This record gives sequence, structure tokens and C-alpha cells, in this order.
Amino acid sequence: MKGNIFAIQHYAVHDGPGIRTLVFLKGCPLRCDWCCNPESHSSKIQLRYIPFKCRLCNRCLPACPVHAISVQDGTLRHNFDLCKECPGKPCTDACPYGARTLSGSEISADDLLDTLSRDMPFYRNSGGGVTFSGGEPFHQPKFLLEMLQRCQSAGIHTAVETCGWAAESDIRQAIPLTGLFLFDLKIIDPEKHLLHTGKPVGPILEYLALLAAEHPQVIIRFPLVSGITDTWENLNDILNIMNKNGLTRLHLEPYHSLGADKYEEHGLNYTLQNLNHYESGDLESFRQFFISGGLNCEVI
Amino acid sequence: MEHIANREITGKPSCNRSAFFKARYLDAPLMVDIEYIKYLTESNRKTGGTEVLIRRATDHAWALSHMTPVINENDVLAGNKTRFIRGAIPYANYAASPFLKEMRKEEQDAQSKHTAQGIGGGIGKAMKEAAGKGLRLISGKFLIGTDDFESFKEICEYWEDKCFMEQGDLLWKKNFPEAQFIENGWKIGLYTAPHEPCPEGRLILDYETAVGRGYRAIIKDIEEKINSETSGPDSVFTGSDSDFSRSKGNIAEGQISAGNVSEVHASRLEFWKSAVISLKGAITFAENYAAEARRMATLEKNPVRKAELEQMAATCSRIPMEAPRNFREALQSFWFTYLLGHIEGSHLGYSPGRLDQVLIPYFRNDPDMTIDQAVPLFEELFVKMTQIEYIASLSWQGLGHGNLYQNLILGGVDGDGNPADNDLSLAILQAQINMQMTQPTLSVWWSDNLSHEFQMKAAACVKTGVGYPAFFNQKTYVTHELNTSGLPVEVIRRNCAIGGCTEPTLQGMSYGIVQAGFVNHGKIIDLVINKGVDPQTGIRMYPARELKTYEDVRLYYLDIMHAAIRNWQQYWNIVMIAHRQTVPLIFCSVFVNDCIASGKCMDDGGAVLNSSITTLSSGLVNVSNSLAVIKRLCFEDKACSLAELFYAVQENWNGFEMLRKKALAVPHWGNDDDFADDIFLDLFKEYCNWVRGQNNFLGKPYDPSMLAISTPVPFGKVCEAFPDGRMSGEPLADGVTSPFPGTDLGGPTAVIRSSSKVDHTQIRGGLLNLKFHPSALKGDSGSENLLALIKTYFEKPGFHVQFNVVDSRMLKDAQEHPENYRDLVVRVAGFSAYWVEMSKALQDQVIWRTEHTI
Repeated sequence: MKGNIFAIQHYAVHDGPGIRTLVFLKGCPLRCDWCCNPESHSSKIQLRYIPFKCRLCNRCLPACPVHAISVQDGTLRHNFDLCKECPGKPCTDACPYGARTLSGSEISADDLLDTLSRDMPFYRNSGGGVTFSGGEPFHQPKFLLEMLQRCQSAGIHTAVETCGWAAESDIRQAIPLTGLFLFDLKIIDPEKHLLHTGKPVGPILEYLALLAAEHPQVIIRFPLVSGITDTWENLNDILNIMNKNGLTRLHLEPYHSLGADKYEEHGLNYTLQNLNHYESGDLESFRQFFISGGLNCEVI
Repeated sequence: MEHIANREITGKPSCNRSAFFKARYLDAPLMVDIEYIKYLTESNRKTGGTEVLIRRATDHAWALSHMTPVINENDVLAGNKTRFIRGAIPYANYAASPFLKEMRKEEQDAQSKHTAQGIGGGIGKAMKEAAGKGLRLISGKFLIGTDDFESFKEICEYWEDKCFMEQGDLLWKKNFPEAQFIENGWKIGLYTAPHEPCPEGRLILDYETAVGRGYRAIIKDIEEKINSETSGPDSVFTGSDSDFSRSKGNIAEGQISAGNVSEVHASRLEFWKSAVISLKGAITFAENYAAEARRMATLEKNPVRKAELEQMAATCSRIPMEAPRNFREALQSFWFTYLLGHIEGSHLGYSPGRLDQVLIPYFRNDPDMTIDQAVPLFEELFVKMTQIEYIASLSWQGLGHGNLYQNLILGGVDGDGNPADNDLSLAILQAQINMQMTQPTLSVWWSDNLSHEFQMKAAACVKTGVGYPAFFNQKTYVTHELNTSGLPVEVIRRNCAIGGCTEPTLQGMSYGIVQAGFVNHGKIIDLVINKGVDPQTGIRMYPARELKTYEDVRLYYLDIMHAAIRNWQQYWNIVMIAHRQTVPLIFCSVFVNDCIASGKCMDDGGAVLNSSITTLSSGLVNVSNSLAVIKRLCFEDKACSLAELFYAVQENWNGFEMLRKKALAVPHWGNDDDFADDIFLDLFKEYCNWVRGQNNFLGKPYDPSMLAISTPVPFGKVCEAFPDGRMSGEPLADGVTSPFPGTDLGGPTAVIRSSSKVDHTQIRGGLLNLKFHPSALKGDSGSENLLALIKTYFEKPGFHVQFNVVDSRMLKDAQEHPENYRDLVVRVAGFSAYWVEMSKALQDQVIWRTEHTI
């Protein structure tokens, strides 16, 4: 069995207990405005073009079979729509400078488990393990369940970070194979959720209730995005939903713009320009709000 | 603009006095103090004709007795190496010619153009003040008064033909058949510059004895030995006349034949007599401090300070002569002995060792002393250690980057294998968290059963970003020393410490000097590619050879490496003959076992451990990566011919960008890839075995070691492009097992997995740098994860790991706005340095490798 991933990160320490390896699965049903991993959206392998590494050597032009690349007035232009259907993306081989790379790669369950197992002594000494993130890991349910099963057999602690958009049967199968769920909750207001993520919030809340009832280890992760998720109304809603489901652990993830360049590099539009970054004092006041609401809350 | 991530832990001095000391240090220019060398020279002019050891001790004692006792404002601990806050003694008796060449505006050595020093901080201050106050600038960064400058010139002229360096040159340049290879090696950057200006170090004295017994008792012991040798029942004079050759045959442990008995007797007597002379000089030094403190007390108006000075006078009247009665006296006694040993030689790497172990009995038996009271005392000690500067040739100042590598190591296990961390281990860590000084080079002996409190405190210190402590695996070194020396395991466990940046040794019983110069493995790659000729100078170093197979390439590399190392070792063996004849350490020998018992100074083999002498090298990772690329591209994949690859490299990859991409795609060291890692392991083994094949100047095999200090920058500067994808002039990989920046794709766990394949018990040393963004270590869980990482590496077992915790954006900001970062400290390689006092090239290297963080 094979899956499609776009990164593996070792010594990850923010996504579950101990020293962890983070596997980013490709493909996501949501399109959150603030997403910092735009290469996770599509489940297909994509071209990434990094302008600052390009030295305009033009080696890619003859290599491109779909004529997606052109040079006008000393500037290289790239038509990402044409590029989508190009199977091998040979321009990446032609580029000597790493300005053209592939986002995403296929990996077999055997190879992935081998990679993950190599850090076994680190997991053992730190109480760590593996976290499957994305994208949305349940977007590749068979591969995810296969990997969870294999990790469990190998004695590796597992965590799954999910946006909650998944099939109920897949979630039910994952519950006994997963040590910890990191559940992303963004906006509770249905209209706003649809507006900023592209999907309704209803099913997500249903699955949250299911997980909260069936699994003892669920941490809510809440992205703080200025003017979008950090309204007092939404903060209250988050607190209420957590209380209603008997959940007590919350991670605050303050917005950052580190992913902005990656949008352009994948031919995508980044809509959140010039958004405010938080000062540490702001974050502390949000944290205190949730703590006074009875939660165990930390800023990640 | 994203925020620059700050370090999580930012300590501050525990009291106003410590804050005052730190501010005073940061504001002080670098000064040269010629007082010691002036008095030493004054004596040396009169002692001609005296036996070498006696003369050396007499000159040193004379200088000690005449040095100005300097008690600075607020000082509680008595004793300074110079009259200045930041001062260096210019040891013209070791090497006068680098100074003379500078004064005569000549190039000091072939390396000086490749090494660079910083221009900020106290260095910048010295430069500014030189212009303003009519002072002269010397050795690039030190101030010297105009009168002193003229006196110093005369001193250097006096030593020009007598100093260690000149005497050594006379020996090896005439007697060593491969002298030309060495000289050429310097010209092409195969070796670091001649090390005679600062050869001493890696030495840790027996502070337990020095403090515990006091000098008077030790002098009494030695005098009894002298008496029994001359008039006791075993005296050589017993009998009808004083014919040494008729004495008993059992002296000197029966190791000598009857023919040279008189010579051995003479040298034993001379060593013991010289030992007494140097100890008496040391006592005068302390008594001068007592008198000065008394004088200052009578003038002092402030009653609190007056009482402190009176206390200091009382302490210096009996310390280090007698055994201490409390913790403060013990600390003063340690500091005097440490300082006196430091003054005697031109040291780099002279270290305090396991100070928490040495001082803990005095702390436990002192009912008036608490951890909170001990912390400020250590804070003052750390400032005092940082205030010691060294002046040497420009090359060595650039390589050492002003750091003295005074290694203080905490924790570990005792002789029985029980955890040894104690209250003072915690106090010392706290003092470093508070002060963040660049000295001492703070380290921890790792053992899994160290207390959790101590481990977490060590992690907190790492999180200040100061780069300390470095973590060393005690059991790895114990295994190495068991295999090398065969000493009892209890002795090794109890006395093991780090002398200098990363070289383990046995405190109070080891010979100190190593072959401190480095062999540049990278330059050998240049020679392999260019048929044995250095591409930058055209100098032929080795015969050309036809290379048809991968094995041909590997063997060519090994053969040149063999020649480079063997010549280097043999050259140094000849140089060190001159050391015995010019600058033998007498005072230090008193506190190295078993010099006194055997009647031999360290140069005569008096130390218990003489296999501590290492051969050093740097840059093996780039060699390994280059061979991996050659093997894969030219012989397995046949992507190009060897000639084509070499040509591309000679062209610095210009026009061969696609080939360079292929080269970079071949697995490199540090990714837990067996193809790449096996090549490194093979080279490592070859290096270790070859180094051991030559005996050192004390008759034991050289011990293999690798470390880095600042060599990756100047070594890289002299090297052309390599097959591994590195461009011409770029720094080499830092450390010993650290990957080349940008080629470690699997994160720190893969680096550790690669590094742990190396058998670290084979070498005396080893160095792995890991860099973390501050966010990766956040909170208690961040500390716990860091400790788990160390534990995992040391299970394998690794030997050493150290951490740089900094956001690369902060470093870039610090380059642009140095005025905002006067006290920023970063880890370089086996040492930490003030950012603003580092050279631009070294700053760039640290930024470069810091950007590849998680």
C-alpha cells in the first residue's frame, strides 16, 4: 500500500508528547484562509517553483512538454494550470538550482514504517511517537489506518491531527489504533465557518462529540487569526463546545505568515495580506480567558 | 516582519556586585601587561649558567614575587593574572619572533592571512583607545603603552634566539629530513600555524592536594626527600665520598642502569629544588596580596568594604600555605593555585576540571555557607576566568578566537560509579545561567542516574543560548582510557575531566601538551584532485599517481594523509625536545602526580599518564562526502568520468551545475544512510590506527583525536571546490561528526543516528554541534525532550554533544546592529564567544549552519 505525503519532520516536539516524528499527508477537504501549508491542499503531486532560487538559465524551457514556462522581459512566467496535467514534470530534473521541485511524493507503508522505526530509541526515552498530520490524514483513510495499525504493532505511540472532516466509519476504526487525537476547531458560527474554510461546521462538531465520547485523549487545537477566529463570540463558542463535550485541553496556535510565499510558489492566491501578528501579552490574555473558563490551555 | 524568537531563559547576576563585575568586564579594552615577562627576563639575564630546571623556577619565582598585587574595586576573591581587567601576558620566552615580526611589519606566518579576528566589543574599544590615548595596538587587538612597547621590543630581542620556538626551529629545521614538507604544509594550509606561541594547556592540576594539604606541608615533604637523598640512610652520599655511581641500584624504581645513576640523582635533586623555589615564589605572591589588602583596608573609609579587605588580608596570610578552614578559604586556595599555574605557561585549554567534586567537602563542612551564598562567589570566579586573555600569533588568536578553553566539568560518577552531582554542581550551573560569561567552558559528565534536578538545571542553562554546558559521556571515555592506559577503573572514573574544549584527560595526573596544531583533511582532497600538487600555490606535496578505480582514489587519499600525519608527529617530537630545555613547567609539575614522588618534571615523564598526547585533525566529513560522490557518480552510476568530475571541481563547478546537482543528491554524512556513513567510518578507523602507529616524545603512542575550534573557516578558505558539492573557499563542516550545512535532510535524530555509528571509544575527543530554534526547547517538556535526546545519543554510545539555541534572524540582526548585542553569546565549536568579538567570517558560518535548524 502506498500513500502520498509532502514532508516528514523529525524531532517534532509540539504535536503530542515527547520526541515525535511528524508525517504530513497530502490532500485536505478544507480551504482555511490562514492555512500555512498550501501544498497540502491537493492530493496530487504538484510543481513548486521558487523564484529566488531561479537564475534564469532557461534550462527548464525545452524540458517542459506542456509549454507552461515562458520568459517575458527577463522574467520567467509559469502557467500552473497547464502544469497540473503534466505527468513527470521533467522541468524539475532540468533545474540545477533547486528552483523547481516536487511537492509530495509517494511512499509505501513498508518504507514509511522503516523511516519511523529508526527513531524508536528517541520515542522510548522521551515518551514520544508518531503524529500523522497534513493536510487531513483522513483524506487518505486506508493508508492512515494501515499506518496506525502498523505503528501500534511496532509499539510506537500514535497521534492524529485532524480537522474533523472524515467518514464516521474511518474515525471509528481509528479510535482503538490512536493514542491521541489533536482536533482542529476553528469557528463555531456555521456561516463564518463555511466562508473561511469552505465546508460546513455541522459534521465536524458531530465527529468531535463522537471522539470526545469514545476516546480519552483529545486535545483541541485552535488557530488564533486576527479578526477571524479571535472574536469574543467565537472564543466563547469554543469554550462552550469544549465544556459541553467534557474536553479540558486546548492548544492555541497563533497565526503566522511563514507559509505565504508557498502560495505563490504553487500558483495559488494568498488572501490574508498584512494580518496582525500577536504580541506575547495578547496571547497571554487569550490563554487566561480559557484558563478562567476551566481549561488547561497552552500556546504552541 | 516576524518576531525574532528570544531564548526562553534569560538569567541575570544574582547581586549588584556580580552585575558590577560583568559590566566592568564588558566595558574593558584588551590590554597587554608586560610586567611578568619583564621580571622573568630580568632574572633570566642573571641566571645564565644555572641548571635548566633551577633557572626556570628561579626566574618564575622572581617574577611572581615582584608582580604587582592587584585588588580591584569590589573584589572578594584575591588574585589577578595581570594589572588590567582584560589583560594578557605576552610570553616572549615561548615565542618572540611573531611579536618581532609584527613590530618589524613582516608577515608572521603563512597562515595569518587566512585567519581573522573580530572587531567589536572589547576589541573595538582597544582600537578606539589606541587612537585616542597615544597607546599602541599589538597583535591586532591589544593595547600597550608606548613605553611598554619599547621595553617589550627589547625583551623580545633578548628572547629571539633563546625562546622555545627558536630553539625548536634550530633543532627540527636542521635535523628533520621532512622539514620542507612541514614548511610547505604551512604554505598551502595543510597544517595550522606553528603552535609554539601557546603550546601549553589541556592540563588540570591536582587541586585536591594543592588545596587540601597547603603549600607548606608540600614543601616540607619535598625538603624531606631532598634531605634523605643527600644525608639520610639512603643518601647517595653515604659512603667514603660523593661518587653518585656508587650509590644503591634501587633508586628511581630500579629502572635505571648503574651507568646513569648520577645523572638521575642530579635531575631528581634539581627538580625537587626547583619545585621548592617555585612554591616559595608562589607563597610570596600570596603574601604580597595579603600586604596589599591590609594596606587598602587601612585607607578604606567604607566600614563594610574595610571588613572585606581585612578578611582578604587574613585569608591571603594563610592561603594557599595552609589547609582551608572553610569554603571561602578553599575557593581562594583553589583560585591561587589555578592562577599561579596559569601564569607559569602560555596556556590554551588549562582547565579547572571537576571543581564541584574538589570543593564539596569544604562546602558540606561549612555550617555558614549555603547554595545562595556560594552562587555569587562562583559568579565572581567566572568573571575572573573570563578576564584572562591570551596573546599569541595572529593565526592562533584567530583560531582560538580569544577563548582560553578553561573547562569546568560537573556531575558524572565517582570512583565507585555512583552519581556525583551535588549542591555545588547546582550552584555552578546557576552562576552560569545568571552570568552567561564565555568562561569557564562549562561541561557536564553525563550519567543516566544524575539527579533529575541537576539534569533540568543543565537543560535550563542550555536554554539561555550561552552554549554551555556541553554534554560528555563519561562511560565512553572511561572505556577509552581503560584501553589506552590500563589504569584501574576507579582511578579513571574519579579523575576523568575535560582539558580544554573537548579532550578528556585525568586531572592531576596527566601530561598536558598535545600536538596542538591540526591537520586539514580537506587540503588532502585538493591534493588528490590535482595529482599531488596544491592548486593554489603550485607546490608539489606528493608524487602524482594514476587513478583508475575508486580504491585507487581512496588509497591515494590515505597515503597522502599518512605522510601528512607522520611528518607532523615527527616534527613535533623534535620541537618538544626544546621545550624541556627552555620552558619546562615546574610549578605545574608539583601538582601533577607522580612528578614529586618520582623526582621528574612533566617533561621528563613524571606524570602518571603520558598517553594523553593527541594528534588532531579536522574536516573528515567533507572528505567522506567527496569520496561518496566519487564512488557513486564515477564508479557505480557512471554518471561521469573521474576526470570530468575533477575538472568540474577545478572549475569551481562553473558550467557543471547539473553535475553538482547530482553530486549533492548522493547521500552525504549525517542522514543515517549506510552508503555514506560507511565511508566515514572506514576513514575514521584508518585515521585512528595510523595516528597510534607513532610514539610521542614521551615514548607512548600518539592518541587519535579530532576537534575543530575555528579551523573550519580558515581551512575552508584555503581549499578549492570539493566533489561533495562544496564551493571553493566555503567553510568545511564544523565539529567532528556534524554534517555539512544543508546536507543533513533527516533532522537531528538522523544526525545522531549517523554519529552514533562512530566508535567514540577509539578517540580522545569528538564533537557534535546541534542547533535548535528556541521554540524547539520550550517549557519543561522542551527540557525533558532535550535530555531524552542526549540520553539516546549516549546509549549508543556517543561521546559529546553541544547545543546552539538561537534564532538565525537574531544573529542577522546582531550583525547589522552590534550595539544592541554586546552580551550576546553563541556556541562556536567546543567554546562559546561574544558575538561582537567574533570575526565576520565566523559569524557568517554560525548563521549559515544555524539556518538549518528545525
